[in-house]
Amino acid sequence: MFHVIFESTRSALVSILAHGLRSFLTTLGIVIGVASVIAVVSLTQGMSAFIGESFSSLGSNSLTIQSHTPIAEQMRGVRARLTPEDLELIERRGEGIASITPILYANRSTQVRYAAQTTFSQIMGTTYAYRDVAQSWVQRGRFIAESDNLTRRRVAVIGETVREDLALPENPVNEYVDLGGEWFKVIGLLEPKGEIMGFNQDDIVLVPYATMVSLSGNQARQDIQIQLSLSEDAEVADVTRQLTALLRNAHDLGPDEDDDFTINTPEQLMETFDTIINMVTLVIGGIVSISLLVGGIGIMNIMLVSVTERTREIGICKAIGAKRHHILAQFLIEAMLLSLLGGLIGLALGYGFGTAISSSIESFPPASIPLWAAALAMGFSAFVGILFGILPAAKAANLDPIDALRYE
Amino acid sequence: MAAKESTGPGENAPLIRLRDIAKHYEMGSQLVRALDGVSVEINRGDWVSFIGSSGSGKSTFLNILGCLDRPTRGQYFLNGAYVEELGPNQLAEIRNREIGFIFQSFNLLPRATALGNVAQPLIYRRIGYRRRREMAREALRRVGLEDRVDHLPNQLSGGQRQRVAIARALVTEPSILLADEPTGNLDSRTSADIMQLFDQLHREGQTLILVTHEEDVAGLGDRVVELLDGKIIRDRRAGEPLA
Ligand SMILES: Nc1ncnc2c1ncn2[C@@H]1O[C@H](COP(=O)(O)OP(=O)(O)OP(=O)(O)O)[C@@H](O)[C@H]1O
Ligand SMILES: [Mg+2]
Repeated sequence: MFHVIFESTRSALVSILAHGLRSFLTTLGIVIGVASVIAVVSLTQGMSAFIGESFSSLGSNSLTIQSHTPIAEQMRGVRARLTPEDLELIERRGEGIASITPILYANRSTQVRYAAQTTFSQIMGTTYAYRDVAQSWVQRGRFIAESDNLTRRRVAVIGETVREDLALPENPVNEYVDLGGEWFKVIGLLEPKGEIMGFNQDDIVLVPYATMVSLSGNQARQDIQIQLSLSEDAEVADVTRQLTALLRNAHDLGPDEDDDFTINTPEQLMETFDTIINMVTLVIGGIVSISLLVGGIGIMNIMLVSVTERTREIGICKAIGAKRHHILAQFLIEAMLLSLLGGLIGLALGYGFGTAISSSIESFPPASIPLWAAALAMGFSAFVGILFGILPAAKAANLDPIDALRYE
Repeated sequence: MAAKESTGPGENAPLIRLRDIAKHYEMGSQLVRALDGVSVEINRGDWVSFIGSSGSGKSTFLNILGCLDRPTRGQYFLNGAYVEELGPNQLAEIRNREIGFIFQSFNLLPRATALGNVAQPLIYRRIGYRRRREMAREALRRVGLEDRVDHLPNQLSGGQRQRVAIARALVTEPSILLADEPTGNLDSRTSADIMQLFDQLHREGQTLILVTHEEDVAGLGDRVVELLDGKIIRDRRAGEPLA
């Protein structure tokens, strides 16, 4: 068996090399198929590795609670809210919480002005606890303090992007900026955190929660977010369960009513992104697999031509003692090698494309091919070769020696 | 070898025994009797020439002897085996071990060198690469082509190709050497060389079966069998007068 495979591989290689250009063209379908699969996979895998890194910057042990109105409720004009009372309840009764902070977002992005420069940015009202919960540190000045909240001080901590957009000095502390018509004193500059899924974490202005509340008009209808970090020995699942029960009770939800809030962890968010990326990979991979099948048909076609072309040769080999399995193995292995070579070229090309694309788009993560994808592509190529080689190989193996020898 | 006949004839029995062999082709409504009841026995070490005009069935006969083709009817007993009972793989085995076939048109593999061509049948005997090439080189030396081992068939003259074909037939040390018009495409000088080679093989005890339409080539063997329209019309010792 080994002998047959070895000798067949040798003669298959000779035959593939003898028709270099034709072999290459034959396998082009496979080359293109594998190259596209690998390019797509390498880009999305690079992306998901990158997303993994970004999310760890969100603080790994934190929970975010937001109000959530199901579509059906929205139609009826009902809007769920999280209120300061909810916050107070959780502060009082929640277990396993290290620090907790409310966040009040401005309804829409707000104009920020410094001297002649203006920009639009996300303003959020929060407390000193935000620093620990969101792992957000200042590089200049100080963070919002509890006293800032108590006295509703008009102070702001700004992100690096805001500082750049407003052309504030390297150290913006003690400068005054105009937030939607009110003057705020800059007390701190945040360390840059970079982008996450297109959301610039440095394009942000933090003000004291109480200040934000007082400036936001209708206080009764305010809908806040609550962010909290867990104490070391707390389990995410336990805390989530307990908070859910607390809030459901507070919101008077019946047993068959859905939650009117959501509790998210960064991991959940990341998993969601991962699921989306994997789905995209699968769908595109599936579409591209079709081109592999087309490539396989191309190989079958040329192998059939080649069997016809080499009918006399097959006859000669049979006349001097080749058995069915010798001929079968030779053509099968030739088809498989053709396909595999195409797969290899495709792998290199696909990786090349992936790298070229990812390096030509700024801020795009570097391409990477996981081993499983490379192995799968090779395995699939070999499989396609064998699958579509069977018909031509069987045709060759079943030739009658005398008919094959007489073939003109 | 497969299908040995245990109750069959002993060592002195003929190497080949054909009984009432026929090969018919149906061409539309017409029946072509390429062979029509040929019975013949050939002993080990014999040199037998089959002679006949074009279309008399010589090649058809040789193809059946070489286990390349199956007769429409009749019995073929070769070196202890009933050939008609054998399957395709057993026939391949016989072609590889018992028979050295030299074709009318050489039938060399166009993309293999002289050495590769001669080594090819040894692949099917599971002989390793080095040993194979050694044996092939030796066979090429025997036919006087040691300086052409790396030439492709299209880089060789007709006579040289014929000798590569002979070397390929010899390399497996077959029981029978079959040659279809071995000098058909060659000039008289080269023909003489080739016939001399056959003569030498014959002296070494090789069983030889030749097909030719040239009387002087046929005359070199022990025995001449004449075919006409698929039938044996004469079976004589070489050198006997024709009339
Ligand atoms: N495959 C075939 N189909 C139909 N008829 C065939 C076939 N092969 C041979 N024949 C016929 O059988 C007869 C014998 O052919 P064969 O090739 O044996 O002749 P030959 O004696 O070898 O002739 P030559 O000396 O020209 O080689 C011819 O009449 C030929 O037409
Ligand atoms: Mg003939």
